[in-house]
Amino acid sequence: MHIDPIFIIASALAIAVLLASAATHKLRAPARFAKQLADYQLLPEALVRPSARVIPVLELAIAFALLVPVSRSWAALTAASLIALYAAAIGINLWRGRRDIDCGCAGPDQAQPLRPVLLLRNSVLVGLALLASVAPIVRDLNVFDGFVTLFASAVALLIYAAADGLLANSPLLHKLIGR
Amino acid sequence: MEGLIVSNALLWILLLALAFAVMGLVRQIGVLHGRIAPAGALMVDKGVAVNEPAPQVTASDRNGRPVNFGYAGEKSQLLFFLSPTCPICKSLLPAIKSIAKEQADRLDVVFISDGDMDAQQALIREHKLDDVTYVVGPEVGMTYQIGKLPYAALIDKAGTLRAKGLVNSREHLDSLFEVEHLKSATLQDYLNSQPHPHAHDHSHGHSH
Repeated sequence: MHIDPIFIIASALAIAVLLASAATHKLRAPARFAKQLADYQLLPEALVRPSARVIPVLELAIAFALLVPVSRSWAALTAASLIALYAAAIGINLWRGRRDIDCGCAGPDQAQPLRPVLLLRNSVLVGLALLASVAPIVRDLNVFDGFVTLFASAVALLIYAAADGLLANSPLLHKLIGR
Repeated sequence: MEGLIVSNALLWILLLALAFAVMGLVRQIGVLHGRIAPAGALMVDKGVAVNEPAPQVTASDRNGRPVNFGYAGEKSQLLFFLSPTCPICKSLLPAIKSIAKEQADRLDVVFISDGDMDAQQALIREHKLDDVTYVVGPEVGMTYQIGKLPYAALIDKAGTLRAKGLVNSREHLDSLFEVEHLKSATLQDYLNSQPHPHAHDHSHGHSH
């Protein structure tokens, strides 16, 4: 498949920023993340605390690796599998009927219950990460290409943040209109 | 060619600004959702004090089964006082039913009414209340000193009265649970304990 490097670098950049921000939220409040992880009830209790330490470090490592051209491809595949793993965790708990646990998806102020739409959100992110793993066609990049790449990833991140905010707001809105 | 590049760059910059504005709007809506926590059920200052043990009374429901009020139990109890002659009570029934459904695992909802049995039957038929616990009789209302309708009282598992008040809307009903959540006796007390000047003015309007 031949895809222009702009698409690939922009999506790698967007995923990298996303993972880095997720990791900083987790590193800033390790106790809260450990609690969210325990709430998912997927890991034996002895493993919850060590995993809560390792996951943010792993996310940061992937984020950095995504920015380096040499390691971009495998880092993107790792990111895709990590996000797919999160989706599986959400899916398993949805299947168990445990909808009322905190998703832990979008930072500290946006506690939201589990809903199937979160699986859609994660699959979009997996798609983006897979796009970043494709080997680009070789061409010279000039300043304007860099500009487009930077702005495209910034716009993608802002739209992602807006969509995420809408997702977090929707249970509150439903409560407000009494449904 | 030069013009196209300039136009493209300009479009990207404007798109970025637009996406930023949209994200800002979503965040502000989130903050608004947080701020408009349900507020309202007006406490009429008589009867049982909130955060005190609720008076214990037993009455029989419309099928003759005894219903206990104010005793410690497995679930919290929401007492909804209504009358077939009160239109606002009827308008609140869907909200009550949806609360009962949402919180079925932790909350028992009891409908308490008084007066003509035929009118009660008509109300029950009209609003499909056949399966709910429906008490007809003056005992409970007199024990809890209910003067105005529609009135609601929330009793927790331990038999403590957690919140009560005149309820005129779904928001008022939700505020009972909010009061329970905030652990203040009434929303007015909670607002009084907040340093915000507007909240203080607001509570004055209600309590005097």
